[in-house]
Amino acid sequence: MTAVLEVHGITKQFGGLTALDQVTFTVGEGELVGLVGPNGAGKSTLFNIIAGAFPPTRGKVLLGGHDVTDLSSHDRARHGIARTFQQVTLFPELSALDNVLQGLHRHIPGRFLAGLCGTSAYRREQRQLEERAEGLLGALGIEDHRDDIAGEQPLGIQKLLTVAVALATDPTVLLLDEPAAGLAHEESTRMMDLVSTVIRRRCTIVLVEHNMRIVSRYCDRAVVLHFGQKIYDGPPGKLTADQRVVDAYLGVAELG
Amino acid sequence: MEIYLPLLAQGLAIGLLTGILYVLVALGLTLIYGILHIVNFAHGEIYMLGAMAVFYFHVVGGLPLAPTLLAIVVLSLLFGLAIERGVFRSLRGQWLQLVVASVGISLVIQSVGWIVFGIQEKTVPTYVPGIVQLLGVRLPRERLLAAGVAVVLVAGLYVLVYRTKVGLAMRAIEEDEETARMLGVNANRVAALSVALGFVLAAVAGAFVAPIYSLNPGMGLEPILMSFLIIIVGGLGSITGTVLAGLLVGVLQSVGGVLFGAEAAYGLVFAVMIAVLVVRPAGLLGRA
Amino acid sequence: MSVKAAALAVLLVALVALPPLAEPYVLHVAIVVLINAVYAEALYVIMRMGYLSFGHAGYIALGAYTSALLATKLGVSPWLGILAGACVAAGFAWLLGLVTLKLRGIYFSLSVFAFAEVVNAVFRAVDAFGGPAGIANVPRPSIGGVQLNGHLGFYYVVLAAAVMSLLFLYRLAATRFGFTLLALRTHDTEALAESVGIASARHKTLAFVISCFFCGLMGAIHCHYLRFVSPFVFTFFFSTDLVIFNMVGGLGSFWGPLAGSVLLTALGEQLFAAGYYKSLVYALVLLVVILALPGGLIQLPRMREAWAARRLRLAKAPVTAVER
Repeated sequence: MTAVLEVHGITKQFGGLTALDQVTFTVGEGELVGLVGPNGAGKSTLFNIIAGAFPPTRGKVLLGGHDVTDLSSHDRARHGIARTFQQVTLFPELSALDNVLQGLHRHIPGRFLAGLCGTSAYRREQRQLEERAEGLLGALGIEDHRDDIAGEQPLGIQKLLTVAVALATDPTVLLLDEPAAGLAHEESTRMMDLVSTVIRRRCTIVLVEHNMRIVSRYCDRAVVLHFGQKIYDGPPGKLTADQRVVDAYLGVAELG
Repeated sequence: MEIYLPLLAQGLAIGLLTGILYVLVALGLTLIYGILHIVNFAHGEIYMLGAMAVFYFHVVGGLPLAPTLLAIVVLSLLFGLAIERGVFRSLRGQWLQLVVASVGISLVIQSVGWIVFGIQEKTVPTYVPGIVQLLGVRLPRERLLAAGVAVVLVAGLYVLVYRTKVGLAMRAIEEDEETARMLGVNANRVAALSVALGFVLAAVAGAFVAPIYSLNPGMGLEPILMSFLIIIVGGLGSITGTVLAGLLVGVLQSVGGVLFGAEAAYGLVFAVMIAVLVVRPAGLLGRA
Repeated sequence: MSVKAAALAVLLVALVALPPLAEPYVLHVAIVVLINAVYAEALYVIMRMGYLSFGHAGYIALGAYTSALLATKLGVSPWLGILAGACVAAGFAWLLGLVTLKLRGIYFSLSVFAFAEVVNAVFRAVDAFGGPAGIANVPRPSIGGVQLNGHLGFYYVVLAAAVMSLLFLYRLAATRFGFTLLALRTHDTEALAESVGIASARHKTLAFVISCFFCGLMGAIHCHYLRFVSPFVFTFFFSTDLVIFNMVGGLGSFWGPLAGSVLLTALGEQLFAAGYYKSLVYALVLLVVILALPGGLIQLPRMREAWAARRLRLAKAPVTAVER
């Protein structure tokens, strides 16, 4: 199985605080990996480093074998990585369709002059792009909200939209930051079902999750972080048996 | 070299006094921005109105100083409440509109000022004439008075913000408004009070700086720019930062003036300010 | 042909055919209106992106001075000078953009303002640039050996430049580049944009350069019209006027700043010569629009919706004005 994402010895220090300490793991093509750990374990920091929001103090990130550690996030997107954010992040004043169209940026040729003149070829291309965007909305079941303003939608729709936008980049690896957080039980199930079927078919997924139930149910593998260190990397089923994980979560109810 | 030392000492002393003056002027801006994150461009114009009020009530109208100051405090308080209620409140949450609206208010006041007060420069005679000699340094009484007022106001502001329930409410709103509201803080009242107080501070600053420089309706522009620079360098939201930055600017300007001349001193101030921001983008005591 | 297109066509014909019948004063107003319209739309490019600039007059001044200096000191043809002015303004915009575009909110506004003040200060201080008195006797351009000293001839120059500029700026929003700029409005949306592969710094810089190019272009034309330029023409208050045109017209579409600038400039020319009355009226109109008509004049047809949206927003809005 080819490794689409490799994280080698990632260390991140903020002043005197070590947020991540020599974290290393590999994600193979087609896997659905859950990144778990209590609050402050370093999950979002790791995501940010993989996505290129800021650089690690030490260590490397490889996408499809390429060392992308020094690349900015927009350059990294070209190597096939996409993400959602812990706080729902969209283009609030734009419609759902326009949000996804922004996501298609990587695949849209600039065509400045053609756009300036509004040629018919340009307009035809625009319509094709819109159809493509509609397809993505449809894959997530929110095509009815095509023209609705993103910022005015309920949380459930917004979260689905953020995934649609990320998918629009046609990523090899998709980082989902707590996709089910804040959702009611029904919406949460709907989201995770989509993640494990529709989305999974398109790309490799790494998700951050608090909820162990979700991880055990949907993920192939779980990587557990505790105070910035990786303490477990294996099937989610064996998590509860691992002593280190149990110690880390001692007193934390989520393990249930 | 022997001539230099007393000159430097004088420069330092005047620099500190000037610095405190800057702090006095910047205080109102710090309060409003620190708590509500509203950029009050009208700050400079309120300062101008405070100075003009002294001229028209006290100098022209003959009203004694104490009632004049009282009138200024009351009027600026009411004005602040009116502006908060009438303008800022309806623009809640819209940063761009708030900034531009405050620029609009500033323009209205300034334009009316030019039309009503005219272009002739006015002067307010000093409240306390004379000079105090202290350790070989000559300190004008007027500046000492202004410095004294500044110290009192800074102290008062500290007490208000850090030792009263109102201040606690203000800090709560600034830190996490949603939670503060849930805990029962009346955000509207805090907003109104903050703006009103900010206006009072600006007007009082104007009133006490009036005798030091000459008055014209455009006099608010430089103070507000200086104040902005000071609160940014000092760190937004920090009263101590404002004090430190204000003193720093004053001393740099004065000592720099002694050493390098007035024009170069100005450049020195800017250069140091930019250097500080490069090293600490959040300001001296700011939180990033 | 749609109603809008037909109306524009009629307007264009009027703008071309009527002027020979008009008095010089009317031509003057028309010239100023056209120039201000381009300034306002040039500023709109970056305001649409969430950047508030109180320093655009600086780039206008750079364009004006470049052309004025080239014409008066080196005898360069105004046609070349105008182009040079645009390029100089664009060049400085590129340089400044490297630093200032990383800043957001009030920091950006203050930094571009500071630059504009520095520009004027330099022009004031250096005698070679004319000092406080500025540069006088700036020549008008010539066509076929005839210098366009009258209002009518120069009007057509301004009309041509303005129409071409406005057309470009209008179509800019329809391009993918223009669409991408919408993704860069706030710090958060920028992070999202970066994550989908949008090189935000490059886009912002290009937008800023385009914006200042047109400011420099019209600034040079403006200067050749006045036949004069000084450090006291393109001041902070001028920059503020441009912001006011944008806000009054509305930031929702291209027509906003256009409407705002046309209406307010025409209004301004009717008022007392003293700048204070004009400033007062502008500021009052601004406040009335901001408070009563959120979204500016272009929201007039949809006023009821705008008010409803506003009430909804106010109900949820926090007291602290964090830049979003």
